Amino acid sequence: MSVADNEVRQIESDEAPTRFARGWHCLGLERDFADGKPHRITAFGVKLVVFAGEDGKVSVLDGYCRHMGGDLTQGTVKGNEIACPFHDWRWGGDGKCKAIPYARRVPLRARTQAWQTLVQDGLLFVWNDPEGNPPPEDVTIPKISGYDDPEYTDWVWYQTTIEGANCREIVDNVVDMAHFFYVHYSFPTFFKNIFEGHVATQFMTGTGREDIIRPQTEGSTAPKSTGNSSVASYHGPSFMIDDLTYHYEDAPDVPSVLINCHYPVDANTFVLQYGVIVKKLPGLDDAAAEAMARKMGDFIKIGFEQDVEIWKNKTRIDNPLLCEEDGPVYQLRRWYEQFYVDVADVAPEMTERFEFEIDTTRPNEAWRAEVEQNIADRADAAEKV
Amino acid sequence: MSVRPDNRLDDGPMHQVTCAACSALVQVRKSSFEQTSIQWSDDALDTCVERRAASPRPGPNGETFSGCQSLRESIRGAVEHGDLPVQDDTPTPVNPEADTEASHA
Repeated sequence: MSVADNEVRQIESDEAPTRFARGWHCLGLERDFADGKPHRITAFGVKLVVFAGEDGKVSVLDGYCRHMGGDLTQGTVKGNEIACPFHDWRWGGDGKCKAIPYARRVPLRARTQAWQTLVQDGLLFVWNDPEGNPPPEDVTIPKISGYDDPEYTDWVWYQTTIEGANCREIVDNVVDMAHFFYVHYSFPTFFKNIFEGHVATQFMTGTGREDIIRPQTEGSTAPKSTGNSSVASYHGPSFMIDDLTYHYEDAPDVPSVLINCHYPVDANTFVLQYGVIVKKLPGLDDAAAEAMARKMGDFIKIGFEQDVEIWKNKTRIDNPLLCEEDGPVYQLRRWYEQFYVDVADVAPEMTERFEFEIDTTRPNEAWRAEVEQNIADRADAAEKV
Repeated sequence: MSVRPDNRLDDGPMHQVTCAACSALVQVRKSSFEQTSIQWSDDALDTCVERRAASPRPGPNGETFSGCQSLRESIRGAVEHGDLPVQDDTPTPVNPEADTEASHA
């Protein structure tokens, strides 16, 4: 055997980037910030204050008062301004100091950092750009038509902070077909990625798994899921919309929209959020429809919790060793890199269209065998009881 | 931070394919008959007729162009003519029904 045959492959990795991605980042549901109180969000390595004024407009400012450094997140909303708890300086949503109650006038250049916000479909977004430029007109978040549709439920929303992992880990998932079987209990039968511009899309069709008892079916007469079809796109570095339809045996399809988004806290911490709206089935009242959305969300939560367990314990790897049945991890990271460089340094290969369709033949053979084995094992176990 | 090349390209690089419909030049790799990677350039994308004619699919992600059928056929043709290698040396699958008809003939 030659030396080359014995050579051990080394895991290579650079430090996680210290800058934060340029793009729209969702901070959560608008309604959660609309209580007239300041909210503290740690994102992009800094403390932010998020507050809704009397006019209902949600604003995002740097968390520290430019006067003497007071913590605005512990301040009070007065009118449409956030008042610092230290000396009551009043800051408007545009970042300007509007008033100092004990002063004759506001000093020159009394302006703090205000983050551009977007409220759409019940979600609050902030624009992050290390270069300080506003969002280009063509970099938007598409409308989710189901949100305004009375036939859909409202958001069922989840949030979790992930420590010890860079947010690149979750973005990798968009190309990682095999993990959907091993971590998320799905069974992909078709899987294709397309990257173009600032959008990265995953087309996935899955079949039901007989070896997994889903919460939707456990202890109920609800129809059994026979599979799902999904088109999921990252619109920028952190916000994914998954247009997801579940198919059922002897029951109509259930369309839903799943959001999977995150914002970085620091290089090795991020806040993961996800939520779902589901089309109400005919004959289902609002409470039952929301319960259904909650069940679906809880099922997704289980999957994410398993992701988190993996992220917390895995190592960062820049040279993954891929087999032909894996997705385009390297090309995805090339796409993702566009958000971490100055606009002037965005290279054509980061944004040019790339398509990758996986051959699912061999994975599906292996997974069918595994599912059958799981069912047989369960039957054996049941007999022994 | 620079992104490394895909380790799978060590086993076989991308090959140029020309679309028979619009002459767009793209880079293609096939690891098996069913697997396809397509690297477009912005020029090729501007050339693609189907792309220009495409209307968005329904849904929030409908703007994503799902792919060019003419290019798909051109890639298939390139494999059949031996212009585009397939990494997996399993023979190209044939339509079993077509076989049956052939054996009856």
